Amino acid sequence: MGVMQPSAFEQILITTKVEKVMNWSRATSVWPVTFGLACCAIEMMAAGASRFDFDRFGAGIFRATPRQADLMIIAGTVTYKMAPVIKTLYDQMPEPKWVIAMGSCATAGGPFDSYHTIQGVDKIIPVDVFIPGCPPRPESLIYGFMKLQDKIMTSSLADRYKDIFEEVG
Amino acid sequence: MTEPIIPPAPEVLEAPAGPYVYDYAASPQRQVVMPKTVPLPSYRTYLAEVKAAAEADEAKWKKMQADYETAKAKAEAEGKDAPKPPVRPVPRKDDNDLKTPWPQEAKDADLLLLQEVLGAKVEEIFEQAGELTCQLEKGAIHEALTLCREHEGLRYEMLADQSATHYPAANDFAYSVVYHLTSISRRKRLRLRILVPEGFVPESACSVYPSANWMEREIFDMLGISFANHPDMTRILCPDDWEGHALRKDYPVVGWGQRDVAFREDRGGMIERIALQKAGQLGINLKQPKAD
Repeated sequence: MGVMQPSAFEQILITTKVEKVMNWSRATSVWPVTFGLACCAIEMMAAGASRFDFDRFGAGIFRATPRQADLMIIAGTVTYKMAPVIKTLYDQMPEPKWVIAMGSCATAGGPFDSYHTIQGVDKIIPVDVFIPGCPPRPESLIYGFMKLQDKIMTSSLADRYKDIFEEVG
Repeated sequence: MTEPIIPPAPEVLEAPAGPYVYDYAASPQRQVVMPKTVPLPSYRTYLAEVKAAAEADEAKWKKMQADYETAKAKAEAEGKDAPKPPVRPVPRKDDNDLKTPWPQEAKDADLLLLQEVLGAKVEEIFEQAGELTCQLEKGAIHEALTLCREHEGLRYEMLADQSATHYPAANDFAYSVVYHLTSISRRKRLRLRILVPEGFVPESACSVYPSANWMEREIFDMLGISFANHPDMTRILCPDDWEGHALRKDYPVVGWGQRDVAFREDRGGMIERIALQKAGQLGINLKQPKAD
């Protein structure tokens, strides 16, 4: 018959791309920074606790230092006084790094359309996933995190350095 | 002793110089509305209000009587029936449970003791809803606080709160600074109040009550009242390079003080373009500064 039988080599090995393996490992062990700004942080804690159990997605290890973390969940209102601190923490995180803007304050300033609040954290750092809600429930955070996992799985090294390549020419 | 920082006199706010400018003409609901009244509770003001209301009532009654007399004379001349004589309206009986508590004469021993010891430095004492208030001359606050803490009959050990309010409509003062004292041993509370004009530097309470340190810094940050002999008279809530004082009534919520954050690299000018587009959809005028 014309059907090709898998060889002995293919029966014991899986062939895939290095990029895919790296993405899989990154998406299933995202370590967030221990960092809360306002009431959204309470929901973030609830997501990390036993009822919702963020650890099922490999993201339950909240690191106390940005130098060992991949993900920053901006949970709360970002004020002008806090903005340089957030920027410093973001710069201290090693590449590759991702940011989730949680809640309407971090997304667009929320109810605080005033002199002391930044109208969305995307004005100071790039954001991957925006989660609406005031505050979002833990389910929303988990859904947003799953969206981030999808994004990580579909990302490629070429995309990551696209900006730099374009700039060099 | 360091030189106290005297806040600059308030001037008429102009359009901010930053790149992100709020167009107040496009959004009139954002404009600052200055208060026209001075809602400062005071027994003297209350008595004056009551007297003025009674006088207005009397004047109204007299006018009603005069109108009746003229109408009566006119009807007699024309040979018609005399009009009905006016009836003085009975003042409506207020339900005191639904009324806001009004200031009453001071009967508490603490207030009387303060007035006895400080004499003419006490401007006014009154009670309202069981709360004791003593308004002092603005230079005598340190002496009064020391007295409240150390006098055997007062013993107010704790400064529970210290705050200030802006009254732009008042003529002879601009701010009221309020000290809330608590006596733990006597289970009593007392409120001291001073009225300060613009630019006046009151004496700091830090040497008497150390807890005043941060509260005075907050007052300086929010209203611009600086305190003499304070160990560290700097801003506490706003960033150090902040301009203006946010709890003054002439400080707008949006626009002045609101600034652009230029931390994020904007390589192709994409963020700027999106911001301008979004603002255009919302009807907000974002003016961009011209590069030199």
